[in-house]
Order: sequence, then C-alpha cells, then structure tokens
Amino acid sequence: MKKLVLVMMIFILSFAIIACEKEEEIEEVTLTVWASELDQTLTRTLADEFIEANKDEVKLTIEIGPQSESTAADSILADIEGAADVFSFADDQFNRLMEAGALQEVSENTAAVIAANGGATSGSIMAATKNGKLYAYPMTADNGYFLFYDKSVYTETDVQTLDGILAKAQADNSIFTMQINNGWYLYSFFQGAGLSLSYNGTVNDANWDNETGVKVAQAIIAMAEHPAFENRVDADFSAGVANGTVSAGINGVWNASVAETAWGENYAATKLPTYTLNGVQTQMASFAGYKLVGVNQTTDEPYWAMKLAEYLTSEQAQIRRFTAQAWGPSNVAAAQSTEVQASPAIAALALQSQFATIQNVGGNYWSPTESFGNQIVDTTLSSTSTAAEILAALQAMVQGIEAAPAS
Amino acid sequence: MNNMKTNTLLQKPASKNKMMTSLKDFGLALKHGDLFVKLSALVLGMGFFKRKQYAKGIIYVFIQIIFTLFAVFVGIPSMSKISTLGTVEYEVIYDPNLRDNVVNNYDNSFLILLYSLFAILFTVVFILFWFNNIKHQYRIQKIVEDGHRLPTFKEEIKTYLDEKFHVSLLTLPILGIVIFTIIPLIFMFLIAFTNYDENHQPPIKLFTWVGFKNFSLLFDFGRSSQAFGYAFGIIIIWTLIWAFFATFLNYFGGIWLAMYINSKTVKFKKVWRTIFVLTIAIPQFVSLLLIRYFFSDYGIMNTIAQNAGLLQFFKDIGWVKPGLAYIPFLSGPVWTRVMLILINCWVGFPYVMLIATGVLLNIPKDLYESAEIDGANKYQQFKKITMPYMLFVTAPYLITSFIHNMNNFNVIYLLTNNRPTSDLKLAAVDARDVDLLVTWLFRLTSEQANFKMASAVGVILFLISVVFTLLAFNYVIRGNKEDNFQ
Repeated sequence: MKKLVLVMMIFILSFAIIACEKEEEIEEVTLTVWASELDQTLTRTLADEFIEANKDEVKLTIEIGPQSESTAADSILADIEGAADVFSFADDQFNRLMEAGALQEVSENTAAVIAANGGATSGSIMAATKNGKLYAYPMTADNGYFLFYDKSVYTETDVQTLDGILAKAQADNSIFTMQINNGWYLYSFFQGAGLSLSYNGTVNDANWDNETGVKVAQAIIAMAEHPAFENRVDADFSAGVANGTVSAGINGVWNASVAETAWGENYAATKLPTYTLNGVQTQMASFAGYKLVGVNQTTDEPYWAMKLAEYLTSEQAQIRRFTAQAWGPSNVAAAQSTEVQASPAIAALALQSQFATIQNVGGNYWSPTESFGNQIVDTTLSSTSTAAEILAALQAMVQGIEAAPAS
Repeated sequence: MNNMKTNTLLQKPASKNKMMTSLKDFGLALKHGDLFVKLSALVLGMGFFKRKQYAKGIIYVFIQIIFTLFAVFVGIPSMSKISTLGTVEYEVIYDPNLRDNVVNNYDNSFLILLYSLFAILFTVVFILFWFNNIKHQYRIQKIVEDGHRLPTFKEEIKTYLDEKFHVSLLTLPILGIVIFTIIPLIFMFLIAFTNYDENHQPPIKLFTWVGFKNFSLLFDFGRSSQAFGYAFGIIIIWTLIWAFFATFLNYFGGIWLAMYINSKTVKFKKVWRTIFVLTIAIPQFVSLLLIRYFFSDYGIMNTIAQNAGLLQFFKDIGWVKPGLAYIPFLSGPVWTRVMLILINCWVGFPYVMLIATGVLLNIPKDLYESAEIDGANKYQQFKKITMPYMLFVTAPYLITSFIHNMNNFNVIYLLTNNRPTSDLKLAAVDARDVDLLVTWLFRLTSEQANFKMASAVGVILFLISVVFTLLAFNYVIRGNKEDNFQ
C-alpha cells in the first residue's frame, strides 16, 4: 500500500515539474489561414518566414487551407467561430462581412498600413474602411476586369470599340466573350451609360429602369446576339483561350497567365472598349476590385493574427505575389516596381482605372443582375422584345436590387 | 407474461392503465414507505444506505450532485434567458498592451438555446429517475420486510449481462439516436422559430424568437416581397415531380432491362449485366461531372447536335428559342428538368436491374408454365405474375427510393450548381428553378447562412418524408401480407 502511495506521489510530482517547466517556455500560438487555391505555395512560404522571424517571441503553428476569395464570405459566415483566423477575400464581400461583424478592426500599425497603400483616400484603403476605421489589409489592387485580346487578330484600333472587336472576331471565325449573367460584368454597360448605383450601408439605390436603361439593355442584347459573341463563365473563357476558339474577352488578371501562355507574343490587354449606345460610342465602366486580408473578430490571438495579416500583405509579399501569380499590388511602393509596371494586364487595369468605381454595393445587387443577364442569355429578352418588355424586366431587376435585406 | 407485455405496448387503453398503476405505485411508495424512502425524495438513494447498498447509494447521490451542478451553473442561467435568447451584445475593444481583445460578458444566443434544450431534456430524465428512485426504494424496503435477501451490487451488475441483457445491448444505439438524430432535429425545429441568419450570428450578434414568421414567409405563396413562398411553391412541386419520375422510371427501366437480358433471345447475358454494373463501379459524382461537361452550352453534345442538324430541328419545332446558338440541355428550365430525369435514369437503373434480376430468377417457373398452359400471353404473364411478385418483394425499396429521390442531392447539385436562373423572384431567395427542397436548403445554409429559413424548409421536408414513409409503410408492407400473395 505504501509503495502505491509513493508511486502516486512521484507521478503527481512529475506532473507538477512538467507544469513548472512549461511556464518558462515561450507562448504557443496556432493560427489558421485561408488563402486562394492559386496562392497556397507563396502563402506557405510567407507563413514559414513569419514563424522564423518571430521565433524568439512566440512558437507559432500556422495551418493554411484553400478558400477561393470569390466565395470566402459564404464559408466564413456559415460559421464565424469555425472560420480561419486570417482569411483573404474579394472586396465585394466587405459589406457582408461587416454586417455580420466578422472582421477585426486593424489595431496594430494601422497608420503604417494605410500609408503603405497610398493613404486614406486611396481606393484600396477605402474599400476596407467603414465609418473611418480600417477593417482589412489590402492585398491586391487588381481585382477588376479589362479586355484581353490576341494581337494577331485585332489591331489597336479594333479593340477601341465593341463593334470593331465583334466584326474582326466574326471575320476571323473566332469568339469574343464576356459573362453577361453576372452582375459584376453587367455593371460595366449601365455605369458606362452614366446610370447610377449606390449603397447607403443598408439598401442599394439604382436608376437603371428608365429610357437610357432600355437603350443599354438593347445594346447588350445586340452584343449577345452577334454571331461572334459567346457568354462564357470564367472557366470556359480560359478553356476557350487555351484551345484557340476565343480571341478576345473581358476578364481579370487571374487569367493573365492563361492568356500569356496561349497567345505568347500576341498576348495583349487594354482598357474596356466603347459600345454603341443610341448611336454614340460610350466607354464601358468597371468595378475597381481589391483583394483584402481580414482577421476574424472571434480569433483567440488577435495580435499575432494581425501581425501575420500585415506580413502577408507587406510590400515584399506583394511583389513576390506578383512574380508568382501576376496579381497586381495594392502597396504603392510595390506597384511602382519596374516588373509590375511592365505587365500588360496591370497596365490595362491602370488604363481602365479612370473608368472604374469602387465596388460599394449591398448584397441584394448580385442575384437580380445575374437573373436579368440570364434573361438576355436565354433570349427571354431579345432584339424582338419591345421597349416596354425590356423596361418591365429592368424594373423587376431594380426592385430586386433595391429590396431591403431580410430582417 | 410475454403476451401481456406486447398487449400493453399495442393497445392504448392498456398503456394508459400501465401509467395509472405506475402512478399508483408511486403514491403507495410515498405513503407506506419508511423514513428513508421518504427522505430519498430529497436526497436520492437514501434508502440504499439504510439497506447497506452503499455502492448504489453513492451512484444515486453522485447523479443528483451532477444534475444540481448542471442546473445551477448551466441550466438555470440559460433557461432564465430563454424567452429573449439573450440581450447583451458582443462588444470588443482591442488592448494593445495586453495584445488581446477585451470582450464584455456577452450573451450567446446559440449556446443559450442549446443549453436550455439540454436542461429541459436532463430535467425530464431526472424527474423520471427521481420517480423511479422512490418506487425502487419502496420495493427494496418491502423485500427486506418480507425477509428476503437483497441482491448484492455485483449480482445486480451481472443481471445486465443476463436477463437485462437487452438493456445493455440497446443503450449505445439509443444514445446514438438521441445525440445524433433527435437532439439536432429538435434544435433545427427550434431554429425555425428564430431569426438566426447571416446578420444575427452568434457570438457576435444575437438572435431571438420570431414565432411563425419564417413559416408564414414560406406559405404565403408569392404575396410577400421576399418571394420565399413563391420559390417554395415551385420547388416543392418540382421536388415531387422529380421524385415520382426518378423513382418509377428507374424502377420500370431496371425491370425492363433485367427481363430483356433474362429473355431467351439474348446471348452473352453475363457480358451485358457486367457492362451495366460497370456504371455502378464508377463513382457517381465522376460520371455526373463528366455528363455536365458533355451537355454544357458549348460542350461536345452541343457540337454534335449542331453538326447533326438537331439544333435546327429543335428550333423548327419550337423546343429551342430561335435566338440560341446551342441546345440549353442544362441551362433552359424545361430542358434541364427533362435532362435531369433522364441522366438520373442512366446512373440509377443498373441498381434496379440488379435487384430485379435477383427477384426474377426467384419467381417459380411453374407459375409461368401453368399460365402458358392456360393460354396467357406474355403481357398477361407480366401483369399477373411478374409485376405482383416484383412489387411484393420490392415495395420497401420503392418507398425508400422515393424518399431518397426527394432528397437526391448529388444528381441535382452536381449537375446544376452555379447555374443562373432568369427568374428574378427565385434568384432573390437564392433558389434555382431545378432546386429540390434539399439543394435549396443547402444553398441557404452554405451560401447565404440563412439558417432560419433553411430550418423552416428542413422541418417541412422532414414532415413530408415522415408522412410519405408512414403512409407507404402502412399500406404497402402491412405485417402479414405474405399470406395474401398468390
């Protein structure tokens, strides 16, 4: 019996000793990061560097999971507490994430982060700011769209107008493509025509359902019905470029490497073309898009999560991300580097930027515009539709866009 | 004895009697029990200590302590907030010196609801336990008074491997059902009466009760601006149509194929069967994704159809709108629905073929022989012998596959995920014209975080499934039907 007690005592004591030893050790922190499938390798490298750089202060373990930036909010909002501590997302989801309270305010080195991205009035900072407070770290300033084209098919004058592109594509027996049933791209026509879309933090306001709107819709229909036009989703665009059926298209930098590989020397990119609105050439507008890195409001380690987010979006990280993925930096110094300046895609974005607006829209914008675009794709709305029919469809869309979010 | 037991289970009046006697026993126990029996109403298991059954006494006291601790620290605090599901919102301030977020003592609606549910369940269980405890104390008091020996703790444990073996055997499965099915089901049911969605997500935001609002949104059939009712109407009708065709086309297609392969004119029977079984061997989602690729607007099927003049043919008869440059196999609302049913046949009927082959080989040959002698033709034989036999054997399969098809997530979602709809009202509630209730539910949760509406849809889906199952099982597989089969 005594022996047993002795053994027990030793056992308990050894625990106590281990516990004491632990106290002297440095803090252990585990963070999870969600980054784009395309950006996994670089994120891993940067994370390892971050671990190494801070090893005197903290013992970090960083797990990285793949999560497309375009649907990040869906996954985060399905379970905020279960989501990653640090995640990247496209700025169209900023309002949605803010509404749900998922974003931690940037509270370490805030001024430096703002300055590095061009100050409080720069687009990337404004896209991550609400009520004067910064809630995310800008990672790229390239999440907009522009025109890709094959120089062997089009001249520089051809790509100035939509009509020019379509005529050349038809002559070449190839395809010009854009995704109409997607509010993100559809916006370019309406905004270009001078119609407005705004968001006051709760509901959207749009004036697309008027005579000009009908004319815009008719212009889109004319494009959609052109034999050289095909409505294609992202994946079909890159597939078409790769197999040579697509010779021009409106898309974003994430497909720049596909176009460069397929077209080689003939790869070119420029601002969006003009389209014929009521006989007048009208410049297509676009959304200026940013990719942001956010910190989860419910994280257990806000300090290290913020530090990591800052590191993942630092100047060096952005330059390396450009080298690896051709993603355009939001960091001003990084954007100035000669490599970045030489990229056709980035140059095209810069050209387009004068016609681009920040994506400040509420969640109810996307579904109605997708459906409206799809009505053109499935020819519910066609050149045989009357102005009244088109107006009715526009009114239904605007009603949806302006609908108050479900309480 | 055994007979009596089944009787009490089957007949309602008897079970009522059982409850009454149980209550009576309880009253008697309290009335005639000695001091310790009465004390055990306050402190569980007091009687055990008096009768020197210490081990059991300690277990009972321990259970009471655990329950009390749970009630004081979790149950009562949660239950006190159940009417509002919490009022204190999450507030956070980052403290740069602490390098940490300072969070207030906020309410978490989700946990309040979950713990309250546990509290209610535990309380019910505890009351039953308390009730039985008193009867138990009285029983052992009487055993001692009658001069019998009480079983020792070891002996009682042993009974769980012997005459009470059913209890030991069933504990785990029942616990599993309660934890993994019943509690989540009740929880989902409760969520359907709250406003738990993207903008009311714990821990950061609170959610609260909204009564029948979610259900009234579903059942207003298009009158509200939110269009949930409109989408619900379309989706539920399509769900039923889909389940009907998916089930019966597969069923009869499979039987037909099995009979055809079985018939004397077909050679290399095994080869044909193997070929069809191969479609089972390929993972379903792989075939579905490939099929989706084949039938996409600019996919290979469209190229073939265009070259073969099918596109023009369909345009001429008006099945494809004149402006389209492709057949909208998986993008036009009607086309997609028909294609979905056909594709589902392709991936589904080999299963039925296998089952039917087995059943067909089992039908006694003499039935057919005597039918032939009586001059019945093939169709009459099929109608009078094959089909009744098939139906008799496969009725349970038919019912379960109807329910399964109502919830056939894979086929619908893998083939039509990300497919835009032209219907603004459907789009407004994130529904698609080919959604089943279950795929809509998935979209609502995983893409919109609209848990309240998803729960309401889930409750309805559950009710429909239950009603269909009960009806079908009652009418089709009524116990002693074997005798009726001729």
